[in-house]
Amino acid sequence: MSLNPKNQRLIWSRFQKAVFRIVFVYFILQIIPIDWKFYRYIFSVNWRHLYYGDIFNLAHYMPQFVAGGESFADWGIVLLIATVIATIWWLTDKNKDRDFKILYYWLRVLLRFRLAVALLAYGFIKLFPMLAPYPSISNLNTSYGDFNLWKLFSLTLGIVPAYQSFLGFTEIMLALGLLYRKTASIAAFLIIIFAGNVFMSNLAYEGGEYVYCLFLLSMSFFILLFDLERIVQLLIFQKPTAPNYFKPVFNLRWQKYGRWTLKAGFILFFVIIYGFKTRNGYYYDNYQIPVTKGLPGSSGFYNVEEFILNKDTIAYSKTHPKRWSDVVFENWNTISIASNREVIIDSTNINRIYKENNNRIYELQGSAGRHYYSYEADSVNHILTLQNRNPNYKDEILVFRYENPNDSTFILAGIDQNKDSVFATLRRVDKKYLLKVIQKQKRGRKLKL
Amino acid sequence: MKISNRIDADEYERALETGREQIKTTALRPWKQYEKILFRIGLIFLVAICIPNNPEWFKLVLNIDWSSLNYRDLYDIARFGSGINFLGDSFLGKSLGGYANWLITAIAAIIAGFLWTVVVRLLRKDRKEYNTLYYWLRTLVRYRAGIGIIGFGFTKVFPVQMPFPSLGMLNADFGDITAQKIYWLSVGIAPWYQIFAGVVEVGAGTLLLFRRTTTLGSVLLFAALGDIVIVNVAYSGGVHVYSSYFVLLAAFLLIADVPKIYKLFIKEEFTVPVNYYPAFSKVWQRWARIGIKTVTILIFLPLFFYLQYINWRYDPYKLPSAAGVKELRGNYTVTEFRLNDKVIPYSPLDSVRWQDVTFEKWPTLTFKVNKPLPLDLSNGGGDSQRDIDRTFEITAIAGGQRAFHYLADEVNKTLYLQDKYTPLPIARNRAAGVGGAVGPTWNVKKQNKIIYGGEDDIESEAYDQYNWIPKEALANIGNEVYKINPKAVTTRRIKEYAEPANDEVRKRMVLKYDTLDGQRIILSGTDENNDSLYILLDRIDRKYTLKESSLQPGEY
Repeated sequence: MSLNPKNQRLIWSRFQKAVFRIVFVYFILQIIPIDWKFYRYIFSVNWRHLYYGDIFNLAHYMPQFVAGGESFADWGIVLLIATVIATIWWLTDKNKDRDFKILYYWLRVLLRFRLAVALLAYGFIKLFPMLAPYPSISNLNTSYGDFNLWKLFSLTLGIVPAYQSFLGFTEIMLALGLLYRKTASIAAFLIIIFAGNVFMSNLAYEGGEYVYCLFLLSMSFFILLFDLERIVQLLIFQKPTAPNYFKPVFNLRWQKYGRWTLKAGFILFFVIIYGFKTRNGYYYDNYQIPVTKGLPGSSGFYNVEEFILNKDTIAYSKTHPKRWSDVVFENWNTISIASNREVIIDSTNINRIYKENNNRIYELQGSAGRHYYSYEADSVNHILTLQNRNPNYKDEILVFRYENPNDSTFILAGIDQNKDSVFATLRRVDKKYLLKVIQKQKRGRKLKL
Repeated sequence: MKISNRIDADEYERALETGREQIKTTALRPWKQYEKILFRIGLIFLVAICIPNNPEWFKLVLNIDWSSLNYRDLYDIARFGSGINFLGDSFLGKSLGGYANWLITAIAAIIAGFLWTVVVRLLRKDRKEYNTLYYWLRTLVRYRAGIGIIGFGFTKVFPVQMPFPSLGMLNADFGDITAQKIYWLSVGIAPWYQIFAGVVEVGAGTLLLFRRTTTLGSVLLFAALGDIVIVNVAYSGGVHVYSSYFVLLAAFLLIADVPKIYKLFIKEEFTVPVNYYPAFSKVWQRWARIGIKTVTILIFLPLFFYLQYINWRYDPYKLPSAAGVKELRGNYTVTEFRLNDKVIPYSPLDSVRWQDVTFEKWPTLTFKVNKPLPLDLSNGGGDSQRDIDRTFEITAIAGGQRAFHYLADEVNKTLYLQDKYTPLPIARNRAAGVGGAVGPTWNVKKQNKIIYGGEDDIESEAYDQYNWIPKEALANIGNEVYKINPKAVTTRRIKEYAEPANDEVRKRMVLKYDTLDGQRIILSGTDENNDSLYILLDRIDRKYTLKESSLQPGEY
């Protein structure tokens, strides 16, 4: 499409009109839910007690035809269907030289709001920094080289909640910019810079969201396209530039009220309600962390002072396949055990929000060096039942009788996943983490640690 | 629904005519008094922060050997401290997070701007406008920001600013690393991302060198460096002032565009951009313009690209440049440890016994002891040519990890080791005057005081840095300067290695190494306290989840 400088009319060539038909159908198929899985999810949601995770997961919608994660193959299928439909549309259309300006306008409106939903969904779980939580005690006691790229990227963000909030705030502001016609292109331009960076990060850190991210970028480009020529004309060629003269005029009352109702409803649901729910989530139910509390007073890092395997005492060893070297009790009901035993890591590297504890496995995603167990404590009979949290080891169950001779000691006796009998004395180590110490003191000072 | 009226041909003509009027009325109109005052203040402030204020910079730049360039020579030209600093860099005794210099410069500019106004009014020489001077100010800022960010960006285009973690760092626990270091490493582990960031920076800088792409370059610079400012504040990265500097310059360049964008998109009015460009009517002016521009571009793009490539390929500036002993490299578990012939059994809590030994690709030995150690909390960057002063691998990491730089006499299988940690690291970024900005003289005196408790003015004797190593061994070791590819042996490297090491007091060990099959190594000799050591190391095949990128700098 090009602007005729003489009369500023949008003159579309026949080719452009043909392309528009395809693009139109393509985007409609991408953003209007046609996937039955979307509706299955809709019906599974408890709308009376709406959970922020449900809004997030629904906002993440993209049609999926190919099993196993979002992929560009789905885009290919959508494009194919779009081409077929557009061709049929053209063949059956009586007015082959149809003017698409109005349809173009409304498609842009739909994409603006679709993109805003996506940004708000991510923006709020960053504004209330849940996406990348602060590293757990186990994570702090794992070697740098034992994490995968994506986990390190996420942990790096997790140590600075204020920065994460800032990123979320920026995203929300850009989303709000999309809601107004006059600022939509400026917002889209800035979103390209912002989401472009996220996309590059996904590629470089082997994140699982690069397809979705490119989807957001494609919408941003489409939104910007409307004003791109004007921007280039004004700022690069530095020539006199005519503004957009095309604007919808709503004369009928129902049009005016309908428009305001939709807009207000959108802001109420995706900004106010969702924002409030994520805030509550941040304070009471961070989705990356199991919600069940751990044994009171147990949290900390423990050195395994004594380790007896089937009646053989095994000395400290970094190479022994079964000797535990240290154990962490988290604030929630997770115990992690470090040993020389191999870990097949979970590395899907995508972000979805789950209510159930056993799906909240952020703490072990992309992390080797330790095995993570959720536990149930029977505090009457002093029995700990451990279950491996890693989906690759989900059948592993360990049962121990435990004793606390004092505040800083655990004595465990029981059987591990191999039916070996294990006796271990765990002694709490009062570890000082440079990461935390340095955030409390000024950097210029001398420090011994 | 109706669509509002479209503009027709006549209306367009009228709009264009209005636009021409606008040019006459807005561009060539006399400036208002407050505009002139603001401009004078802005001019003084911006000129002050666009020219170097550090004598050291002039010294370094004038002494550049253009026949044997090091990437750092160009980096130094591009990176300098600026602003009014002869009153010091603190305001009422406060550094204001490093921004005190900006405040002082701004106050000076405000005073000078008003004085200027008074003087021209008294002399009745007040100008109508400053269009030409404004153009030249923008040009100065464009070049300052462009060259500055290109200098910064190239160390990322060839990813050496944030190196991939060494074995010692990979073995460090996440909680034992500072936030700053964690951020730096997070970029280091993804070299392709670092390249992307570098391309954005160098790209923004390049766009600033041309008038028509200045807006685009400024937007990119503003967004990219704005993020870096926030990152530096969040992670205590220490480069927040220097990155804010570019944000400020970019913001200045964007001032002229904001009204246009507002008018075209928010008010939706016909917009006529007014850009005042002086006409270069004389031939010499045209040649001078083309000449200066061409030289700038040739030096800071193709030449810089080549020098940075050489640096990445043979001499990555944050890592030691020489290769380590090949048969030793790897991860080891300490199977037996004897101190003065007494066996100390393994316990992770023992404060003397070594744990987790590594020999890096370069000449560094690392090990852990369970004991608090004084830490070097700097960013570990800087302009050091000498391997022992390249401390990125030790800075901001705790957990009892120590690192020793070694010189290997491979004939007698002996390592001469020196602690990479030193209480006061050498001056970094001397040209810029930032980042551990201590001059060598200050350093020596302070260091002597700390170590010997003596007077400030003790003159330490400059000494040959190799004088503790026997002559025969030195002959076998060879000259450190030439331990890298000849292409990377520059005048700067030779000069710096030739300087006597008068600022060093380091802990030292001499250890013989013996290995039969490369799996088991025996180290024996004396440690820093002259105690005898006997250590049996067994190689372990440590499998890291973090995969090393194929894009590795250096030649080891």
